[in-house]
Amino acid sequence: MRVVVGEDLFLLRDGLVRLLEAHGFEVAAAEESAPALLAALLEHRPDVAIVDVRLPPSFTDDGLRVALQARGEVPGLPVLVLSQYVEQLYARELLADQGGGVGYLLKDRVFNDDQFIDAIRTVAGGGTVMDPEVVSKLLGRRSRDEPIGRLSAREREVLGLMAEGRSNSAIAQRLFVTEKAVSKHSTSIFAKLDLGPSDDDNRRVLAVLAYLNS
Amino acid sequence: MDSSNLMTVLALAAGCTAIVWLRTGRSQPAKTLRGRLCEVGWCAALLVLAVIIVGTFQPWNLGSHRTILALPLIAGLLVVVRPRLAFGLVPAALIFLGLYGFVVARDDGFWGQQTGSYAFLPLGHYNLQYYLVLPLAYGLLFLGCWLGWRGVDRDSPAARLALGRLAVRAGPGQATGSSQATGSSQAWSLLLLPVAVMGAALLCPQLWFGGGVLGAVWTIAVLLGGVQFIRRSPDRAASLATAGLVALGAIGLVVAGSWATWPLPKTLDLYVLDGVVAVSGQTMANVAVVQAIVFIGFGLWLVPRTIPQARQLLGWASDADLIKRVQRLTESRAVAVDTAAADLRRLERDLHDGAQARLVALGMNLRAVERLIPTSPEAAIALVIEARETSARALTELRELVRGVHPPVLADRGLGDAVRALALDTPMKIETDIDLPGRLAAPVETACYFAVAEVLTNAAKHSGAKEGRISVTHADAMLRIVVTDFGVGGADPAHGTGLAGVEKRLATFDGIVAVSSPVGGPTMVVLEVPCASSLAKISSS
Repeated sequence: MRVVVGEDLFLLRDGLVRLLEAHGFEVAAAEESAPALLAALLEHRPDVAIVDVRLPPSFTDDGLRVALQARGEVPGLPVLVLSQYVEQLYARELLADQGGGVGYLLKDRVFNDDQFIDAIRTVAGGGTVMDPEVVSKLLGRRSRDEPIGRLSAREREVLGLMAEGRSNSAIAQRLFVTEKAVSKHSTSIFAKLDLGPSDDDNRRVLAVLAYLNS
Repeated sequence: MDSSNLMTVLALAAGCTAIVWLRTGRSQPAKTLRGRLCEVGWCAALLVLAVIIVGTFQPWNLGSHRTILALPLIAGLLVVVRPRLAFGLVPAALIFLGLYGFVVARDDGFWGQQTGSYAFLPLGHYNLQYYLVLPLAYGLLFLGCWLGWRGVDRDSPAARLALGRLAVRAGPGQATGSSQATGSSQAWSLLLLPVAVMGAALLCPQLWFGGGVLGAVWTIAVLLGGVQFIRRSPDRAASLATAGLVALGAIGLVVAGSWATWPLPKTLDLYVLDGVVAVSGQTMANVAVVQAIVFIGFGLWLVPRTIPQARQLLGWASDADLIKRVQRLTESRAVAVDTAAADLRRLERDLHDGAQARLVALGMNLRAVERLIPTSPEAAIALVIEARETSARALTELRELVRGVHPPVLADRGLGDAVRALALDTPMKIETDIDLPGRLAAPVETACYFAVAEVLTNAAKHSGAKEGRISVTHADAMLRIVVTDFGVGGADPAHGTGLAGVEKRLATFDGIVAVSSPVGGPTMVVLEVPCASSLAKISSS
């Protein structure tokens, strides 16, 4: 699996490349500035791009903009955006095209390399990964709304994990329940939120996120 | 000339001087209020006595030029001989009477209309009167003004009495920048009386010529009205007197011009104006021009001293608004500095207690791991996991800290998107309507961001609203943010520190906060901050 990395801090870039290579990824390019990253993305068309939001030259959200631009030119280009902080606003912008294949994670998540590698694979596979912090904010914002208020505590937990982009089996593992129980919760949640049921993990994430973002 | 009059006046003056000399020469001037009042009483009594004596000799002329001229002479003598007496009544009388005497003397014929029998000084010859009496009258005018001005100890109780408490108004306590000008203008307001007399003479000279009861009543009425006006609004009186002086001078010029051979405006040939300058030949025209120039010069000299606005216009004094503004800036700067210092202290404490402490713990953990690895790898693994969690917590804390100092989205995208992000983070459904032409000054953006955050926090906490709206617009160099929530309303900005804090933060930028929150809602908070916007367009997707 070929990866392009965009990260300006040398230590992190180096660490990421090593981590990726240790897990069998092929790092096609590791760039430290936004224009170089864009060029690399368009040239290499990687299976997945890992991009830091804040990049030179302006050290604002150049990385995010490059990611969005690249996805504009290469529809469906899988992009995992990393950042020191997460903003719902940016999450919305990433999710706006409904195309899937996007991820938005705090840099801290790199600490847990298993989950991080899982997230990369999910994104590369066209799935969607949202940082738990984004999801908890989304849920917090909507917690007073009627349908979400009707969910049980466990259902809200499941909804949160679904929004993060986890599969039923991952959720089951996390909550120490059976996959069947998760699937039951999932059906109940979709009914309460008046969403069409979906077995496709990715479509399910997008539906949930779209619902929370509305 | 009636030499008995002269003798009377001179004897009177000598007598008064002697009495005052004797009375005050023996002891130091009284220090107490009562003592001073006593001395003022003496002076007053002397002056009244003089009036009565002169009036007795020529009762039909009571209040006329002889008396009037006699009084400043006496008073002037007193002041010159005993300068320490120059408090209160005497200088005030000098100012009033020096000017008034000049006018009445001129009206009464020194200027050629009724010369001869009414001559006050034994000059004998008509022309000599012009050349001697006129300068004397002018001399009295200015000597009286000058002595009165110098002599008035405006804080003395006597002076307050004599000046109708003008001194109190002009005294300390008015800490504004224009108090000096106001003080002098109030003193100069005394000029209004003679100017009014001159103006009245201009309009109806026969009243003054008539003498007797009518003239006296008229004089008293003008004086009383003038004094009252001066007491009530000395500033305006001073301005009026100054304007009047200049106007009188201008009229004198015009009238003189109708006779003179020099290139003066000859558009008017108004003998009506004889009351002011009775011009009937080249000589008088010359004299009238001198008088007019003196009046105009004096008036113009007074303008910046009596009209505070004139000082501002001339750039001699600071603007009251400017002073207020400087005060406000000083206050808001102090608040800004305090806030910044408090923020830094909080930051230091948070770093010290939070991330810094966690890094120390991390270091210790790692050191322990180092020692444990050879002996008990399992315990080491547990410690490593703990270390990882510690570092994650430190990162979380740092992130919160950064968000509190300067939210990254604000740095990345500017106020518009930062407000959108805030709206998304608020547990309410909030519509945003943002119309900003470009980036604003960074400090303004930060202040406004935290102001909106504070208002939203309040709304989320207290209003019970599920929905809200934020509009951000920028027009005519004014940033306007309106935060509305459709909650219960009834928010009182006087209670709670949140809005007060917002107000203080925005005050640094001359911003204002207005709250409308009727019971039952909606609550609307309007923030307005004057600021220019840069041309750089906000990147928006």
